[in-house]
Amino acid sequence: MPAEENIIKQLKEKFSIADDKIKTTRQRRIFLEVEAGDFRKVFDFALKQLKFVKLCAITGLDENEKLAVLYHLAQDEGVILNIKISVPKEKPVIKTITDKFSVADAYERELVDLFGIDVEGLKPGFRYPLPDGWPAGQYPLRKDWKPEVKNGK
Amino acid sequence: MENKDKFRIPIGPQHPALKEPEGFSVALKGEKIMGVDIRLGYNHRGIEKACEERPYIQDVYLIERVCGICSHSHSTCFVQAVEEIAGLQLPKRASYIRTLIAELERVHSHLLWLGVAGHEIGFDTLLMYTWRDREIVMDILAMLTGNRVNYGVNVIGGVKRDITPSQIQDVLKGMDLLEERTKYYIDLAMREETIIKRLSGVGVLSHEEALSLGAVGPTARASGVARDTRRDDPYAAYAEVSFNVITDNHNDVYGRTVVRLKELMESYKIIRQLLKNIPDGPLSVKAPRNIPAGEAISRYEAPRGEDVHYVKSNGTEMPERVKVRAPTLANVQAVKQMLKDRYLADMPIVIAAIDPCFSCTDRMVTVQNFDTGNHETISWDTLRVYGINWHKDRGVDFSNVTK
Amino acid sequence: MKAIKKIVTWARIKSPWILHFNTGACNACDIEIIAALTPRYDIERFGIQLKGAPRHADVLMCSGPVTKQIEDRLVKIYEQMAQPKFVVAVGTCACSGGIFTGCYNIKGGIDTTIPVSLYIPGCPASPKAIIDGVVKLLQSLEESEVSKDAS
Repeated sequence: MPAEENIIKQLKEKFSIADDKIKTTRQRRIFLEVEAGDFRKVFDFALKQLKFVKLCAITGLDENEKLAVLYHLAQDEGVILNIKISVPKEKPVIKTITDKFSVADAYERELVDLFGIDVEGLKPGFRYPLPDGWPAGQYPLRKDWKPEVKNGK
Repeated sequence: MENKDKFRIPIGPQHPALKEPEGFSVALKGEKIMGVDIRLGYNHRGIEKACEERPYIQDVYLIERVCGICSHSHSTCFVQAVEEIAGLQLPKRASYIRTLIAELERVHSHLLWLGVAGHEIGFDTLLMYTWRDREIVMDILAMLTGNRVNYGVNVIGGVKRDITPSQIQDVLKGMDLLEERTKYYIDLAMREETIIKRLSGVGVLSHEEALSLGAVGPTARASGVARDTRRDDPYAAYAEVSFNVITDNHNDVYGRTVVRLKELMESYKIIRQLLKNIPDGPLSVKAPRNIPAGEAISRYEAPRGEDVHYVKSNGTEMPERVKVRAPTLANVQAVKQMLKDRYLADMPIVIAAIDPCFSCTDRMVTVQNFDTGNHETISWDTLRVYGINWHKDRGVDFSNVTK
Repeated sequence: MKAIKKIVTWARIKSPWILHFNTGACNACDIEIIAALTPRYDIERFGIQLKGAPRHADVLMCSGPVTKQIEDRLVKIYEQMAQPKFVVAVGTCACSGGIFTGCYNIKGGIDTTIPVSLYIPGCPASPKAIIDGVVKLLQSLEESEVSKDAS
């Protein structure tokens, strides 16, 4: 059984994931959607049991009513597990994973600056990547944000 | 305010008088760094948003310019993701040409790094030698692609430039020359006391730290972390060539130097294999204007380390989302660790040794001195000269290294 | 006075000191500026030297479109330079914002922030174009000095 199928099998068994929430698009790639509340359990399992020991990146997505966060985790053997969670746009809150991956610091700050997601537990530090004078409440990577606003800095 | 065991790292704008944002905030005690905070974002241009507002075809050119030194890396990483979503099967010849340009880029980048590293430690002769040699590969890249930098070789579905038999011969000749020169640099690094002394024990990152802090590229491999995307998650033609993943156990800047030098030798090997075995065939397949809805994550071993691109499409001619995670961002935490409890004089070379993608030409360094309580802002060049003189006083003088 | 001025101008023209500053560039132009210094192109044979501090520089060579973060620093550097001073915009992005025009964190070319004396287009500007441009700048300096003396 190829590596991806084995991983999918273990995840499905452990967390009763519906078929339409987990898929493989090609070799070494798995895409998985979970409830925001279940994320940490799945994440810890992937890290400890399935050996997804590398955090490649964290991507924020604007999906209209919701904001999504996509965690890209990799094994040393090359398989990438992409875990997606969604949070409501009016009050987008997630918890930091810097306790397990200190490299997530910059990736989570991007979510704060560019999407306006509140990351609980993120240590105080320089903002990234926007400049200090950037107007509050302006999140450039949200779909409804238009660059005309930039001139009213 | 001062605590013997803990130290406060200045975060945020420190001095009301200092309007400009600091690049680096250093907490200093005596001559040693207690901690560093690094402020990025100077080069934040808003590329990801711009990608959503342009068709894929234009985005290829835009993404190339995320970083001019590894432009092909970013461009390839991006088109790979798009090709995957569109279900395009690349012709083999295109794959080989992409890989060839990729390795030539690694060669130019590592030689560039050697020169820059030389400049940071006061060894300007090395800068002149390596950049003179580097012109060999710049000529090759210009011959093959039409430009010295930002090659524009990729299209979605393949490449747009072919390589002729006589060009193949020129590339092979260039590789022979460069291999000779690289052997000289390796010899220099192995036996020249001044280099060994200057770079050893500097910017130390243990194997465990490299793993836990998520370091990538030569920075991680110099701490024994055997991760190389070309082998772990093969792309382009890498599954069809044989090469070694270079690791080293010095865990310091010296190790990072050795890794890059040996990687140059591996690149020459890979290039020769590619040119020997390059199959005939078309250069590209036709790509649709509207990319069907889907998503893909693509990885690439850029000269600096793992480059990651995520693309989400929505069935139109413009992407829904493009995310770029350049390698330097992954090494920032590691660099902060490397500088802890080390001499300020080593800061320039330690930062240079991760081969940072942010330009270091004039990043301001704010130093908060715990002994005096003073804040001082110094330019990068002042820090570089301080480091060179500090080491000169301790017997490290490159003006005596000749040949 | 005239004689001293001529010597000072001659010295300035024969050996301009350059400060290189990246205002948000992708590094391509920066490496071509440095390549102009290295043996193949050897801009130093014209007496041109790269210096680290604004106060010692005659010419500010800027690469990149101006990002919002870097704007204040760019102005500060320009103000720290002594007169007469010249600004060279190296590369298409420095000339006009280039491919990043319209991006939310970009102001535009260098001339949106400080006055520019010379524009060297290219993506990136090649070392040959950079040398050509700087030589043109020096020639125009010499000519303007000559025409001042004549009038």
